[in-house]
Amino acid sequence: MTRALRLHSLPMAEPSAPGRLFDQEALPHLDTLYRVALRLTADPTLAEDLVQDTMLKAYRSWQQYRPGTNARGWLLTILRNTFINDYRRRKHEPVAMDLEAVEPHALYRSIQDTDPEGTFFSQIVDAKVIEAIDSLPTDFREVLALSDIEGLSYGEIAETLKIPVGTVKSRLFRARRQLQAGLYAHAVEMGYIKPREPAR
Amino acid sequence: MSRLDCEEALARLHDYLKRELTPDLVGEVRTHLERCRDCEGYAKFEQSFLSMLENRAHKETCPNEVRARIVAALRAAARDS
Repeated sequence: MTRALRLHSLPMAEPSAPGRLFDQEALPHLDTLYRVALRLTADPTLAEDLVQDTMLKAYRSWQQYRPGTNARGWLLTILRNTFINDYRRRKHEPVAMDLEAVEPHALYRSIQDTDPEGTFFSQIVDAKVIEAIDSLPTDFREVLALSDIEGLSYGEIAETLKIPVGTVKSRLFRARRQLQAGLYAHAVEMGYIKPREPAR
Repeated sequence: MSRLDCEEALARLHDYLKRELTPDLVGEVRTHLERCRDCEGYAKFEQSFLSMLENRAHKETCPNEVRARIVAALRAAARDS
């Protein structure tokens, strides 16, 4: 074994100052980054690589981060840009459903007599919920993951994605409707809920 | 305090459920929901949908081996810099 190799195999010393600060600020957000990466890529292997690339990029641009500010937002912005530049290679990008003609509360109207509180949602298994989220268009999955799964405020999402708050809200509105429609169709198919009688 | 009609209240429903409204508007939406069973029912449905989403999709955590790999990559980057 060469001397250089032996040096590399030594146990790591305590990380130097920027390393330790980075650990403190960035590592607590790994779960969030991982979940958002999963939703963006819809692929666990790609998600792992995306999170690792994100953390390395963040480490290298650490001097651009102001300690004590929103580390989660800063990391999510890097994750998102990395995804767009290097990972957006799905062959068949899901399309937005045309729900414009459908009255916004149509789904609720169709269940309000039989299951007004939407208990059918609780019968759908986790994997199917995830699958339904992952079959939304990327723009929709992204806002849904940041808002309704990770709990970022509309303002934080707007800053992370560099889009106006109004756009965040309209995308969320459409994402939720499309997801509800998908979950409802699945629940009907599985017999968790009876479809409404056709209008007489 | 002004009274919201159903359309105005429902237009603010998601903002209300996500706690994105000013205290004034929170009060106005809440007052409407207390007085309108139809809108209250719809609000409960939307709330159950949002709670379901958070409960189901927030469970996954970064696997330990992935975490270890990332920390190792960061240490390697620290050595190289």
